[in-house]
Amino acid sequence: MRKQEFLAELEYGLEGLPREEIDERLDFYSEMIDDRMEEGFSEEDAVAGIGSLNDVIAQIIDDVPLSRILKNDKPRRARRGWEIALIILGFPVWFPLLISVGVILLSLYLVIWALVISLWGIEISLWGCVIGGIGLAIVHVTQGNYLPALAMLGVGLFSAGLSILLFYACIAATRGTARLAKKTVLGFKTRFNRKEIA
Amino acid sequence: MDIQLKRGLLDVCVLAAIKNEDSYGYKIIKDLQPYIVLSESTLYTILKRLENAAMLTVRTAVHDGRLRKYYHITETGLRRIEEFKAEWKEVISIYQFVIKEDHHA
Repeated sequence: MRKQEFLAELEYGLEGLPREEIDERLDFYSEMIDDRMEEGFSEEDAVAGIGSLNDVIAQIIDDVPLSRILKNDKPRRARRGWEIALIILGFPVWFPLLISVGVILLSLYLVIWALVISLWGIEISLWGCVIGGIGLAIVHVTQGNYLPALAMLGVGLFSAGLSILLFYACIAATRGTARLAKKTVLGFKTRFNRKEIA
Repeated sequence: MDIQLKRGLLDVCVLAAIKNEDSYGYKIIKDLQPYIVLSESTLYTILKRLENAAMLTVRTAVHDGRLRKYYHITETGLRRIEEFKAEWKEVISIYQFVIKEDHHA
């Protein structure tokens, strides 16, 4: 890829960010490519040295705080009088809608975490079964009831095995959910950016 | 490596790279290469952070018919390096302790 091509695509990918932010990044990468070429790299190699365009864009958007992206979301032209009137009159309609969308998103997020927490709950109760089973087995042994003791020991050991397996599942679920949350935020930021282009 | 620890280390590395003379982006990456590999995007973030913290200043100069940004360390930046040196003694003593624990295990 040639330098101008790279910079043009980078600019397109960053559209929606504050203008000065984009210009500064473009200058920075342009200087980097020039310096590489000055050292003897071909233009193609100098651009390739920067790395994948998508990675660069994703990292930049991830870096820019959401507040800066939102702050840039100002209309290109002044709003007309009737638009302002419509926004004010429509307040009873759009405001509750906005709140409910926010609440739905929040509750979806909480539901996912609730699932993870309940998995941990099962894990803990399984350990309860382990302790209970083995404890009861000991009680039965002291009373001479060997068959129930064996059954209780079986329950205890079975629960122990199950809880060890579930422990790994719990860890994986927690990690996965955390990663998903992070990805969602990045996705939201990217989406917000793209919307600006249209 | 732990993200917080790495961030602190990278900041000091970049400061050290401009400590003796003003430097520019590509040269900083090359100078640090034997010690730590920095991507352009990472370097940009670090330079911005250091600039906001008034640890360096930026000036644009013409080089070979094009513009290049040079980074100059400030007093605050130099102080940060000195702080790091002092902190590091503490880190090394913790490290020694951690290694000792390993042997007993």
